[in-house]
Amino acid sequence: MVKKIFFLLSIIAIFSSCGGDDSSDVIDGPDANEEINRVEIDPEKINALIEMFPSPIEMAATIEDLKVPYSKKNLVPTETAGDFDANFEKALGLGMLSADLGYLNVYKRKNAIVEYLTSIKRIADALDVDQFFDFQTLKRLATNSTDMQKLMYLSVTSYHDMDAHLRETRRSDLSALMITGVWLEGQYLAAKVNQFKSDKKTEEIIVGQKDILKELLEVLDMFNEKARFDGMNKQFHELATLYDNVKIEIIDGEDEIIKEGDITLLIPGEHTTIEYTQEDLDKISNKIIKIRNNLISL
Amino acid sequence: MKKIAILIAITSLFIFAPQEETKAQCKQQRVYKCARQGGNAIYLRDFNTKLRAVRSSRSINGTKWPVVLNRGTRYRFILCTPIKSRNDVKLTLFDSRHPETKPWNSTEKSNTDKFDFICKRSGVYYVSIRFKPGKGRSKTCAVGILSFVGKNQ
Repeated sequence: MVKKIFFLLSIIAIFSSCGGDDSSDVIDGPDANEEINRVEIDPEKINALIEMFPSPIEMAATIEDLKVPYSKKNLVPTETAGDFDANFEKALGLGMLSADLGYLNVYKRKNAIVEYLTSIKRIADALDVDQFFDFQTLKRLATNSTDMQKLMYLSVTSYHDMDAHLRETRRSDLSALMITGVWLEGQYLAAKVNQFKSDKKTEEIIVGQKDILKELLEVLDMFNEKARFDGMNKQFHELATLYDNVKIEIIDGEDEIIKEGDITLLIPGEHTTIEYTQEDLDKISNKIIKIRNNLISL
Repeated sequence: MKKIAILIAITSLFIFAPQEETKAQCKQQRVYKCARQGGNAIYLRDFNTKLRAVRSSRSINGTKWPVVLNRGTRYRFILCTPIKSRNDVKLTLFDSRHPETKPWNSTEKSNTDKFDFICKRSGVYYVSIRFKPGKGRSKTCAVGILSFVGKNQ
């Protein structure tokens, strides 16, 4: 009897230890056909770095707010997304498609939303994060509802939940690829918009990413030893060197507080000036476009 | 056999319950309701946390999250808590040049549960949700919402 109790309690203890240890994030290569490297990374560090990156809808909201006309031709074609084979491409593609879905959401393009939801669902299934992507509800909202706010909310929370699950299941490399996909697609859209209609605000969105790219590289460099990261990271480092000529200076100033109804608005006095040339902007924009197009045609 | 079942149940409680408690956050319904308080602003992300009861006056309770903000964008920050702890919790926005003790803004400083911030420097900022000084006798949960209001025209 005592043996039986001991045996059962041991089983419970074993099960309880599964997934409970967050002391280190051991990352195995996700693809059977890819080289398997084990990288020991502090999960708290990687979580903090990844979680800080912008939402997949932010760049789209920015572009829409600048009154740029809608253009589907700049998005990742869903047929291309169907060709993403390895988990490396799928995770990167999941980020890019999520940014594109954000774009379609803010421009309220319902037919295209369903098309992109279907592509994302396929990738989410393959990466085993589909339980965080409520395809049926999202599709119903896209087709039958006028509540775009709810659709946007659910799209963004699904993205964050899938990303969090990848990290919880020790696949931080895929999570890093997702945020890379979101960032790159956002910058690609900004670069394409700027080619169509150049304006100071769009230019500054692109050249103003200098420090954010440094943060992204800090994440990506953690995975340098993993198959296929090395090649991609080299391209991002080349992009970072193009920002060397961009000078961002912080200027002090007095804060301004304005009351607007029940909202308090803070306008910081401290601000930045960005110095760059047309050549810097062109080089950066072209490099972003090149990296993005290379990655989706892997 | 009954004794074994009871023993297993008790052991399971001790093993699983504490983990569940530390992970407890506000329910998704509360997060969604809070996000809707942003009006036409577009939801970007949430900061969902559980705040444990304060045991001593020196304990700093709460959570902080790094967040990248983009220059030229007007953001909205909203704090939602259960009614019982409505005036006990604060949301603070700070960065490396404006530390948490001297932040950009907070719901406590602005004396409301929401405030807007026009970002003038792209980079990493921090959002924290903590009990106000002298508050927090009982545990609660709290949600912060970050949303996009628009480009500063």
